[in-house]
Amino acid sequence: MPSTTTPHLATHPAAEMYAREYKAGQLSRREFLVRSTALGLSAAAAYSLIGLKPAIAQRATPAMGGRLRIQQGVLALKDPRTYDWSEHGNVTRGLIEYLVEYNRDGSFSGMLLEGWEANEDATQYTLRVRPGVTWNNGDAFTAEDVAANFTAWCDTTVEGNSMAARMGGLVDADSGQARDGGIVVVDDLTVQINLPTPDITLVPGMADYPAAIMHRDLIGTNPLDHGVGTGAYRMVDYQVGISARMERNPDHTYWGEAYLDEITFIDLGTDPAAWFAAAEAGEFDMTYQTVGEFVDLFSAVGWERSDVTTGATVCVRPNQLNAPYDNVEVRRAILEAVDLSVVLELGMNGQGTVGENHHVCPIHPEYAELPAQVVDKAAALARLQAAGHGDANFTLVSLDDGLTRFTCDAVAAQMRDAGMTVTREVLPGSTFWNDWLNFPFSATEWNHRELGVQILNLAYRSGVAWNETAFSNAEFDQLLDEANGIQDADARREVMARLQQIMQEDAVTIVPYWRSLFRHYRPGVVNADMHPKFEINVHHLGLSA
Amino acid sequence: MALFILRRVGVMALTALCLTFVVFFLTNLAPNLEKLAKTQGNARMSDAEVISWLDRNGYGGPLVVRYGEWLGVVPGWLREDPINGEWRGRCITRGQNPEGAPRYCGLLQGDLGYSTVSAAEVSSIIGGRLQLTGILMFWAFAVMVPSALLVGVLAGMREGSRTDRTLSTLSIATTATPEYVSGVIFIVLLASSQVGLSPLLVEWGWLEGGTLFFGSARSAMDNVTFWNFTLPVMTIALYGMGYIARMTRASMAEVMTAQYIRTARLKGVSFRNIVLKHALRNALIAPFTVIMLQFPWLLTGVVIVETLFNYNGFGWTLVQAASNNDIELLLACSIVAVLVVLVTQLISDIGYVFLNPRIRIS
Repeated sequence: MPSTTTPHLATHPAAEMYAREYKAGQLSRREFLVRSTALGLSAAAAYSLIGLKPAIAQRATPAMGGRLRIQQGVLALKDPRTYDWSEHGNVTRGLIEYLVEYNRDGSFSGMLLEGWEANEDATQYTLRVRPGVTWNNGDAFTAEDVAANFTAWCDTTVEGNSMAARMGGLVDADSGQARDGGIVVVDDLTVQINLPTPDITLVPGMADYPAAIMHRDLIGTNPLDHGVGTGAYRMVDYQVGISARMERNPDHTYWGEAYLDEITFIDLGTDPAAWFAAAEAGEFDMTYQTVGEFVDLFSAVGWERSDVTTGATVCVRPNQLNAPYDNVEVRRAILEAVDLSVVLELGMNGQGTVGENHHVCPIHPEYAELPAQVVDKAAALARLQAAGHGDANFTLVSLDDGLTRFTCDAVAAQMRDAGMTVTREVLPGSTFWNDWLNFPFSATEWNHRELGVQILNLAYRSGVAWNETAFSNAEFDQLLDEANGIQDADARREVMARLQQIMQEDAVTIVPYWRSLFRHYRPGVVNADMHPKFEINVHHLGLSA
Repeated sequence: MALFILRRVGVMALTALCLTFVVFFLTNLAPNLEKLAKTQGNARMSDAEVISWLDRNGYGGPLVVRYGEWLGVVPGWLREDPINGEWRGRCITRGQNPEGAPRYCGLLQGDLGYSTVSAAEVSSIIGGRLQLTGILMFWAFAVMVPSALLVGVLAGMREGSRTDRTLSTLSIATTATPEYVSGVIFIVLLASSQVGLSPLLVEWGWLEGGTLFFGSARSAMDNVTFWNFTLPVMTIALYGMGYIARMTRASMAEVMTAQYIRTARLKGVSFRNIVLKHALRNALIAPFTVIMLQFPWLLTGVVIVETLFNYNGFGWTLVQAASNNDIELLLACSIVAVLVVLVTQLISDIGYVFLNPRIRIS
């Protein structure tokens, strides 16, 4: 299959080290795969290091042709670098593609890259561009395209460019642009990335949804405006909030294999009850995500269920720029009052595992086990009163969507049990998203990331674009820099333990649980399995023969 | 007559002007503009950035001037980006040279503006949405009017009879049930495979899996069928039906007590002929006005029904525009609403003249 990498590296010193750790039980199979394929090993080579057969080949081959309708929000498109939803990536994935694809089993495989290699300390990556790929305007896809996209990703002057945070050391802090000599075009099919410090998150960064590859001359544009891409499909109709329809592009020779003739994304709003009504009316074939009680309902009407355990969660977070949440004692009191296992039960129907109020999940390779959190409602109230905020009224704002709503209800109920005054405010999506970063006390859904350090870089480093807690701690930032450069899971875990501790001590946010994610599809749909990062890879989808 | 129509059109233009100004004023209140800037630009913009964004995108000037731009009586705004020298303006696409572009582009020039929530021209959106709502309204009227008249006439021809009491009770019940209640009841009873009628029908073997009717009208946007359109149409129609039936009944009952009906009976005309030939035409004058009045009522009805059944017509668009503070789309919706109300009233007034010779216009 075209999407799996042909072996380039039989082995890598660091990968062998990971293999030893795996055999010693220090790494799970999933973690081992994430890290060794990120270094440039093919999934097959990585499996062979630990003496297993690859599981990735199990993807079925669907029949050619057919139409599929997918329930998913259809949002206004923009410059891919500034995408802020997985839905953005999904809806354009058939048109503009990615260098690397993150697979369900945690491994990476090449898409527009045929392969990549990292040097021993992960400071230099050699990216090998897939030959024979063309843009649908007839231009050849070359190393120049890849280099131009890297340069654009590093441009911090573009408002909302979250790729800059993913590029880490490749961005020169003074100029806010790509570092001189950081991106080198070696020849037509080879790009070399030189980093000042070791960075293990580069490959996961290239696979993330804002990393869609644009034509070298069209960077910074909305892909809908010109429709130029390497993918097999073209957009026929795009109506924000209603639907997006794409069909196989007859004027373009696709480098890979795509099965469906037509794919339609249907926006049915944010109410899962409306999705279910539409499913019963036969209006779509596959959900983006199924949540809460609807997991059982969809199964009950005969749809196939697919699930995956992830580091996805809902953070119920105070914003530290707003009183009284600027007072650490207030935040500690809130965290102390909330029993997370109850939140898991009420918010998620128990579909997941209990969190620990720090944003590193047990399935992350560098996760460190900390002493269990203490829940003491009486002590929480005493702490709040001691801080002088005993009569504070906490307004907890959430989206009217099921998951975050029930989670916030559970958190609010726990706080009330402890004697605190809580007002709940439930806003519809259209209102909520206008202001979501600025609510003093609110909840946000966070998706899964491949490594523990990634989410800390994105959401908790001082001043980064998605830092909605307004958490700012010099020691934390410095330790995070340190952790970003440590390849070895055990060594990094020591730094990580402290990072996790800081999050708990400073009571940054409530991280109540780690979610299992679910998706349902009509029997007969192939390769529609739930993805830990909500990806819908339209080139794999199809209908059974 | 021509003068009457002309005066009505003048009133309509004045009403539209007032209404759009009120909508413009409300959507341009500072917090609403800030909300717009944060959705369109970046959710984490500082207050200074919000002001600069608003200024850069033409929301900076005095309210009346911007309203004038929208109307097309004031030249559209034009600004040169101080950093890269790129021109931006109301009447030009981004980066286009302002020379050669029109200076005015507002309602009077036929330009409805740009919808921020849909990222498209308002004119390209509103037409298709109105068409969808038109289809829904057509079927709602096609069900509502004949059945309401039938029920009203049957109830009114023998006032106080058992038929009258039964039909009147039904009419009051349907008109007292708002759309958001009847819609949900319909979905639960008829469009769920778990509860209501559908599982029973499946059990009896009358239905092969699935549901009797569909609880979502999304597929009706492409292809209207009996199964996907019945529930939204019935939800709208039932509400108006009760009301029209009550009006028809009252009118019919009154006509039936008139002297000429008694005379006809005394002459030995059959009851059937009295109702059909003598009473019906006179009894329908009052309901005609009520029916025309139902158009504006339906506009509010479709807001609820289209949202409930996920049918992306005019009502749904109005909800989306309002909740996202999409200024120019909301203004266009207001104009459409004013047009619908006043045009139907105009038809109602003129039609009344033809139905009732005692009425003279002017």
